[in-house]
Amino acid sequence: MNKRALLFRLGAVLVLIAIAACMMVIGRGHTIYLDNKTLEYEGTEYKACYRATLYGPDGEKISRLNARERGMSTNIGQSFSMTVGIIEQKDADEVMQTIALKLPYNMDGIIVNIPGYLAGLPQDAWMSEFVATPSEAELQEEAPADGEDVLAGAEF
Amino acid sequence: MNETLDRTNLTLRDRLKAAVESFGLPRLIIAGFLLLLFIAAPFVGSDFWTQISNTLNRFSWNAVMVLAMVPMIHSGCGLNFGLPLGIISGLLGATLSIEFGFTGPLSFLMAIVISTPISLILGAGYGWLLNKIKGGEMMIATYVGFSSVSFMCMMWLLLPYHSPTMVWGFSGKGLRTTISLEGFYDKVLANFLQINIGNLSIPTGTLLFFALLAFGMWAFLHTKTGTAMTAVGSNPTFAKAAGVNVDKMRLLSVMLSTWLAAIGILVYEQGFGFIQLYMAPFYMALPAVSAILIGGASVNKASITNVIIGTILFQGIVTMTPTVMNNMIHMDMSEVIRVVASQGMILYALTRKTEGAK
Amino acid sequence: MKNDNFGKKVVGLIRDNTVPLMFILICAVCIPISGFSLPYLINEIVTRMGRNIFLILALLIPIMSGMGLNFGMTLGAMAGEIALIFVSDWQIWGIPGVVLAMILSIPISVLLGAFCGKILNMAKGREMITSYILSFFMNGIYQLLVLYIMGSLIPIKHFSIKLPRGYGIRNTVSLLNMRQCLDNLLAVRVGGVKIPVLTFIIIGVLCLFIVWFRRTKLGQDMRAVGQDMGVARDAGINVERTRIISIVMSTVLAGFGMIIYLQNMGNIATYSSHSQIGMFCIAALLVGGASVDRASIGNVFLGVVLFHTMFIVAPKAGAVITGDSMIGEYFRVFVSYAVITLALIMYETKKRKHKSLVGQQLQQAQKEADAHE
Repeated sequence: MNKRALLFRLGAVLVLIAIAACMMVIGRGHTIYLDNKTLEYEGTEYKACYRATLYGPDGEKISRLNARERGMSTNIGQSFSMTVGIIEQKDADEVMQTIALKLPYNMDGIIVNIPGYLAGLPQDAWMSEFVATPSEAELQEEAPADGEDVLAGAEF
Repeated sequence: MNETLDRTNLTLRDRLKAAVESFGLPRLIIAGFLLLLFIAAPFVGSDFWTQISNTLNRFSWNAVMVLAMVPMIHSGCGLNFGLPLGIISGLLGATLSIEFGFTGPLSFLMAIVISTPISLILGAGYGWLLNKIKGGEMMIATYVGFSSVSFMCMMWLLLPYHSPTMVWGFSGKGLRTTISLEGFYDKVLANFLQINIGNLSIPTGTLLFFALLAFGMWAFLHTKTGTAMTAVGSNPTFAKAAGVNVDKMRLLSVMLSTWLAAIGILVYEQGFGFIQLYMAPFYMALPAVSAILIGGASVNKASITNVIIGTILFQGIVTMTPTVMNNMIHMDMSEVIRVVASQGMILYALTRKTEGAK
Repeated sequence: MKNDNFGKKVVGLIRDNTVPLMFILICAVCIPISGFSLPYLINEIVTRMGRNIFLILALLIPIMSGMGLNFGMTLGAMAGEIALIFVSDWQIWGIPGVVLAMILSIPISVLLGAFCGKILNMAKGREMITSYILSFFMNGIYQLLVLYIMGSLIPIKHFSIKLPRGYGIRNTVSLLNMRQCLDNLLAVRVGGVKIPVLTFIIIGVLCLFIVWFRRTKLGQDMRAVGQDMGVARDAGINVERTRIISIVMSTVLAGFGMIIYLQNMGNIATYSSHSQIGMFCIAALLVGGASVDRASIGNVFLGVVLFHTMFIVAPKAGAVITGDSMIGEYFRVFVSYAVITLALIMYETKKRKHKSLVGQQLQQAQKEADAHE
C-alpha cells in the first residue's frame, strides 16, 4: 500500500473517531426531575411555591406542579434550559423564570429543586442524582428465547 | 548424541502432527473436552453412572437419524441438510398410525409401515430434484427441508385429524404442538430387555434396533449396488465409464436417507415420549450433520463407525455440559458450547478441500 | 413470423420473471380478501420500505462478486445490535445515538466480515451453505458475548439492559430514546401516509454509491472475479482479497441497515432480532426478480413492495379463508422459504444448462477442427 492511501485511511479513521466522540457529548441523554418542594439548606428554609408551570421550547405547557410535586423532562446534551412560570402565593401573578444549567455528564437522572435554584444557592444544594429503583417486572429473570416459534409471527 | 535426540524428537512430533492432521483438530478438541467433562463429573457431585445412562439413552434416540446421513454422503450428494423432509414422513406415519386407532407396540410398527411409502415417494421426488442440480445439493437440500417443514405447519392445522388425543381440545381440529405417546409407543423399544444396574440403565431394545439398521446399512454398502453407490460418490466419471447409472444410484441413496430419517424420528419419539410437530423438525438436520462430522466423516466419506463415535461424542457433550458446567462455574453455558462446537464442526468440514459434492 | 417472435419474447419474459409474477398474483388475490384499506396498506409498505431497503441493498455487492446470496449478513446485523446495546447503555439518545452506533458497528463488522471472507475463500464453490452455517456459528459466539461476557467482563451499567443476575443482556433492550428518530426528522405526510424522507435520502445515497462503485476499479474487479475467478487471476486481480473486501462491505452495510431497522422498531429482541433477518432479506430480494448471480437496485425495490404486501396481507387473508389466523402466518413463512428454494433451483439448473451448452460448443469446435485435418 502506498503512503498516500495509508494517510488517507488514517485520516478517515481519525475523522470517524472525532465524530464518535462528538456524538458521545452532544447525544448524551438525561432525565431531569424538577421538584417544587421546600428545601432546607444551612438552617434556612426555602419554601415551595404555590404553583410552578413548566413550559416547553415552543411555549407549550408541559406540566403544572403544585407544592410538593415533581415534574419530569428529558434533555439531549449537557446544557439544559427551561422556562418556568412561578406563582408564589395563591392569586399572585405568574412570574416567568428561566432555569438554565449545565448537566453533569455522568448522571442519568438529575433532581433539581426549583425553590433552591431560584434562590441562587450553590449547585450541590439543589441538585442531586436520581437513582431509580428497579420495578418488580424488571427484577424478573428472563431466559433468552428458545428460537423455536420465532419464525411464525416474526416481524420484518 | 544431541543430534539423534533431536531427530527422534522431530519425527515423533511429525508423527503426532500427522496423527492430529488426519484426525482433525476440532475433533480432537471435542473428544478432549468430553473426556474432561467425564473426569470432572464426579468432582462436582454428579453421579458417573447416571451420566453414562443419560448419554446412552440420548445416543439411542438419535443414532438412526445420524445413520441417515451415510447413504447420501456415499453417493456424493453431500451432507443431507434436507433431513426434515424424512422427518416429516415419519411424523405423518406417527400421527396417521394414532389416527387409525392403533395402540401399544403395534402403533410403532404401523407408524413405520405407514411412513415407509410416504418417505419413499417424498425421497424419490427429492432425489429427482437433487439430480437436476448436481453441485448445489447442500444449499437446496437445506431449503427443501425448510419449505417442507413450513408447508406441513399449515397441513397439521388443515388435515382432517380427529383423534382426541392429538387435536386441540377446544376447537376439535388442528394437531397440538406436542402429542404425548403414553398408551401408544412410548419407550416401546427402550423397555425391551432393559438392563438396570444401580444407577446405570441401558435401553437395550433401542440399541439393538439401531444395531440392526446399522448392520443392514453396512451389509448394503458391501453389496454390488452399495459398492456402485460408493463409486458414484468417490469418482462419478469412473463410475459412469464402468456402466453405473449415476442418477439412479443417487436417487436410491436419497430415498434410503429419507426413509432412515423417517425411522429415525420414530425411534427418537419413542425414547422422548412425545411427538413434536410444527417448527420442531426445523433445525433437526444440524445436530445429525454435526454428529457424523464429529465422528470423523467428511463431506464425501462416512462409515458406520463415524456414526457411532460421532453420536456418542455429540450426545455426550449435550448431556454432560449442562450438569457439569452448572455445578462447576454456576453458569449454564451448555447451549453456547453446543452451538459453537456443532456448527464449528460443520464449518470445519465445509472448508476442507474435497472434490465431488458441494 | 413476427407474431411468433413476439410470442417467444413474452414466454421468455414470463419465464425470467416467474417469481415476481407469482407474487403479484398472490397479492392480487389476497388484498381484496384481507379487506385492508388502500391507505393503510400504502402506509405500512412505505414504513417497511424505509425500514428494510438498506438491509437488502447490503446483499448486492457479494452477488456482484459471484459469492451468491450472503447469508452471512446476519454477522453485520449482530454487529449493529452490539453497537446499539452499548449506545443505549451509555445513554446516547436520538440521532447522535444512531450515528454513534453506526460508527461503533464499523470495526465489529469489519472484523466479522474479514473472518467471514477468509472462511468463504476456503470454501469456494459452496459459499452459500458455508455462510449460512457460519451465521449459526457466529450466533453461538454472539450469545457467549451478550449472555455471559457483557456485564461481567465488559461493563454494562443499567439494570434496564442487564439481567438481574448481574451479567448478560435482557431479552429486549428498549430503544425508546431513539425510536424512529431518523424516520421522524423531515418526515412528510401525504394524504395520511407518513413518508420518512431522511431515511429515503440515506437509502438514495447508498443506491448512488452502489451505482458509482460498480464503475470503480474495485467494482470492475469484483465483477471480473464474479464472472470467472481463473480469468480474473490471470488478469492480475488479487481474487482472494477482492472477495474479502466484498464481504466486508456487505457486512458493514448490513450493520448500518440493522441499526436503521431497529431504530424504526424501537427495541432490540436481543436473541432473535438478527436470526431471521438474513432469510427475510434474501427472500425479499429474490421476490423482486433477482437471482443468485444477478441482482439490481430495481429488484430490491420491487421485492420489498411485493414481499411486504404479501407479508401484511397473508395472515389476515388466511384467517378470512380458513378461520385460523395461524394458517396465514405459516403461509407467509412457507412462501419465503419456497421462494428461496425455487430461486436456488432455477439458478443451479441454469448453471448446469450453461455448462453443458459450453461443453457441446467445445465438442462441436473439436469436431470441426478434426474435419479440417
